Amino acid sequence: MHRFFDSDFFYAFRRSPIAIVSLIVVVFMVLSALLANFIAPTNPFDAASLNLMNGFTAPMEPNAFTGETFLLGTDDQGRDLFSAILFGLRVSLFVGLMAVGLAMVLGVLLGLIAGYVGGWLDTLIMRLADIQMTFPSILIAMLIFGVARGLLPAELREEMAITVLILSIGLSEWVNFARTVRGSTMVEKEKEYVAAARLIGLNRWQIMLRHILPNVLGPVLVIATITLALAIIAEATLSFLGVGAPRTEPSLGTLIRIGQDFLFSGEWWILLFPALTLLALALSVNLFGDWLRDTLNPRLR
Amino acid sequence: MTETLLELKGLEVTFKTRRGTLKAVDDLSLSIKKGEILGIVGESGAGKSMTGAAIIGLIDPPGRVSAGEVWFEQERVDAHPERLRGRQISMVFQDPLTSLNPLRTVGDQLIETILVHMNVSKSEAVQRARDGLAEVGIDPDRLNAYPHAFSGGMRQRVVVALALATEPKLVIADEPTTALDVSVQAQVLDLLKKLCRERGTSVMLITHDMGVIAQTSDRIAVMYAGRLAEIGSTREVLTNPQHPYTQGLMASTPSVDAKSFGKTLFQIPGSMPKLDALPNGCAFNPRCNQVHERCRTERPPLMSDRAACWLMETAS
Amino acid sequence: MRSVPSLLEGRNRPLLRYARRDRPLEICEGSINIGAMLLIILRRLGQSVFVLFLVAFVSFMIFRYVGNPVDNLLGQEASNDRRDALIEALGLNDPLHVQYFSFVGRALQFDFGISYRTAQPVADMILQRLPATLELALVSAIFAIVLGVVAGVYTAINRRGFIANTILSSSLIGVSLPTFLIGVLLIWVFSVELKWLPSFGRGETVDLGFWKTGFLSVSGLKSLILPGITLGLYQMTLIMRLTRAEMLEVLRQDYIKFARARGLSDRAVYFSHALKNTLVPVVTIAGLQLGSIVAFAIITETVFQWPGVGLMFINAVYFVDIPVMSAYLLLVGTLFVIINLIVDLLYLVIDPRLRDGQLKQARGQ
Repeated sequence: MHRFFDSDFFYAFRRSPIAIVSLIVVVFMVLSALLANFIAPTNPFDAASLNLMNGFTAPMEPNAFTGETFLLGTDDQGRDLFSAILFGLRVSLFVGLMAVGLAMVLGVLLGLIAGYVGGWLDTLIMRLADIQMTFPSILIAMLIFGVARGLLPAELREEMAITVLILSIGLSEWVNFARTVRGSTMVEKEKEYVAAARLIGLNRWQIMLRHILPNVLGPVLVIATITLALAIIAEATLSFLGVGAPRTEPSLGTLIRIGQDFLFSGEWWILLFPALTLLALALSVNLFGDWLRDTLNPRLR
Repeated sequence: MTETLLELKGLEVTFKTRRGTLKAVDDLSLSIKKGEILGIVGESGAGKSMTGAAIIGLIDPPGRVSAGEVWFEQERVDAHPERLRGRQISMVFQDPLTSLNPLRTVGDQLIETILVHMNVSKSEAVQRARDGLAEVGIDPDRLNAYPHAFSGGMRQRVVVALALATEPKLVIADEPTTALDVSVQAQVLDLLKKLCRERGTSVMLITHDMGVIAQTSDRIAVMYAGRLAEIGSTREVLTNPQHPYTQGLMASTPSVDAKSFGKTLFQIPGSMPKLDALPNGCAFNPRCNQVHERCRTERPPLMSDRAACWLMETAS
Repeated sequence: MRSVPSLLEGRNRPLLRYARRDRPLEICEGSINIGAMLLIILRRLGQSVFVLFLVAFVSFMIFRYVGNPVDNLLGQEASNDRRDALIEALGLNDPLHVQYFSFVGRALQFDFGISYRTAQPVADMILQRLPATLELALVSAIFAIVLGVVAGVYTAINRRGFIANTILSSSLIGVSLPTFLIGVLLIWVFSVELKWLPSFGRGETVDLGFWKTGFLSVSGLKSLILPGITLGLYQMTLIMRLTRAEMLEVLRQDYIKFARARGLSDRAVYFSHALKNTLVPVVTIAGLQLGSIVAFAIITETVFQWPGVGLMFINAVYFVDIPVMSAYLLLVGTLFVIINLIVDLLYLVIDPRLRDGQLKQARGQ
């Protein structure tokens, strides 16, 4: 630990206000999402605790009928917006992290195979990556989402929505991982420690996973951070379009979608606060990712 | 032949950096006569290229000309060097591969230059461009070819044609042959020399190659750490160098003859100091084999219009 | 919120690889051989056709195996006889490759089947909605390219200026805002608060018989402004940053210094030398972005309830209207392939080095 605080990396971190602020925001958001159950004044999804009379309460103003006050106001159903945002943040972060995890595992494995084994497998994987690259990932995610919905029986669609969402975003973002890992693997493969590992009789998988993988993880970390920002935005976009998180488990995107409906009637807070939360989250993850990339691996620029 | 074309008086080029202001060119005074070829020689970083760039005002920030005067044909020009640029003074750069815009034809670039500077019609410009190419030994019908279609040597010929197209009075050639194959170097140099002699154009030939200088120039200026070390006619400087640095340069220039076969080349000990760590007195004193006390404290001025070295004083 | 470098890193990279080169690929004699040129074009065409078949295959698999066409067309309660008759009529018992080729054949005749939801032919639905999407895409592409290039050149030339720095930092926010939020915020400001511009729909359209256009009426034009900006803003910042980066790179090149040394004016150096060299990679990226514009139109169309194919696609995803999804994929896939092809060929025309370099490859030298 002491070594970490002495490192160039930590020094660079301390010198960059952007890195510090964005990391603080991210950590703060993750903690609030994790502790949503304890922080949130109400459980926004417990239908029994909702009071329709509390609907459309403006922030910090007592409700005309019940006299209750809400920090960020309430939505049409009298749901406390602050609580809804905390829980929505949880959904957004969960989907984002799981999707990036999926994309990472898939991309790293395919990249390792393509780079280490080479041959027709390499050609196949990279061709596939090239073709997928031609299309915007959000389009691919939508398509996977639609197909998955089509394959599921109607009664499971709402229930499985979050899983399907993770799957579709994860499958649309693996390419960057695969390309980078493939490139580094091809370099590492030629080094002597790999030859040595081969000499002592390790098989391909052992060499790939135990010897090469640890040496290509640096850039993977950077890509994972940047992809997390993309995944959070993708999730919010899909949910906003109505083809993501269900209304029973709203994410930040769903909340913004609901908020848009009430813009014209003057209930601006239902839109504004979820939007600001999303923006702060995505912006800090992105800025931190950019900083990480510049610091760890300027080559990636 | 004796009339002065260009004169530099106390030219100084400085760079603002984090470590203070560096003098890339320091109190440089020299002149070029009409029709003369002046060779400027020195190691990389000696300020040769900066001098050339300063004359036509092409020094990129954070560098700037901070002192001194530039006189061209008895007129002071350092306030607006861009007025001379391309018309009176043109340049040839080191790397012909990158000097030409890859997306425009050779003819396009020639005609453009001619039209900007000469008061001629389009068709006249085309004709001049064709003539220019023919003069440097390129088929005029290749006017419409793109630069990548030429070899390195041919491209440098195109660059020479571009430099001479506006009939300038001075050509500043900055390492014009360094990037070329040895066999092509001589051809391009001879061409440049021949064309300039025919037109009475003066040349400032900047190079680190003593051989190139010896072959081409009438006079030689030796620069060290931004300062003029020695100047004189080619014969004088080559046969009787006064400054210990020039002597070292001469001794370390390889020659290809039977006598020197198998001998070790002379090396000047050490390397040129960085501009932010110049010694007091003569900049060459840490490497000089004839250094004495005065060299370490007092900077020698140019003496007898030959060399900036205290030894000159003792000798006379 | 895809940051610019990471976008350039991934998507569209193969072309950028060429675009980045400022040195000639190879030095060769510059005669252009029509036959070899044709060979390159044919090769690129072949690749495109392959990708098209692949896209068609995915569309086909979705069309055929996602959901149950028979249930969807007849309802669950239909008798077995009627089911068998329909299965026979649709050729669902044929071998896979026969079904695939008949799918492609029908697609080539613009027959994509019947929508499960509206029971209309999908082709009719697309034709009805395509003008709306294309007009929106056109407006935002022009907005993005014109403003992007101008701002990019401006910020590159006036590198240290105050306005340039302001443009640059605000573009960072532009890149960070998700498209749908930009749309919502624009609606909030310009429709809800200021009441200047409409917040949804195309306004009044003029029917030209084969094409319903919003260009010929005031309300149609007004309706285009907000969606056009929403859709184009991201691409604009992208093009601007790319133009700026390329221009700065070009201005560092020796031939620019040489052009100055030849006594050309700043104007000539910037606009006649630097700009053309800058635009080569920019054209590539901007061209490829056209495809993205059509794809991102899905989001903008949903925000503004714009009656285009994007909105149709989102509804299809929501209601699991498989034939529409499959047709949309085929359509957009074809569009992307064609755009890629055109940009590639355009690139050959613009950059003589690449042209001759590839020719040399084609000749097998």
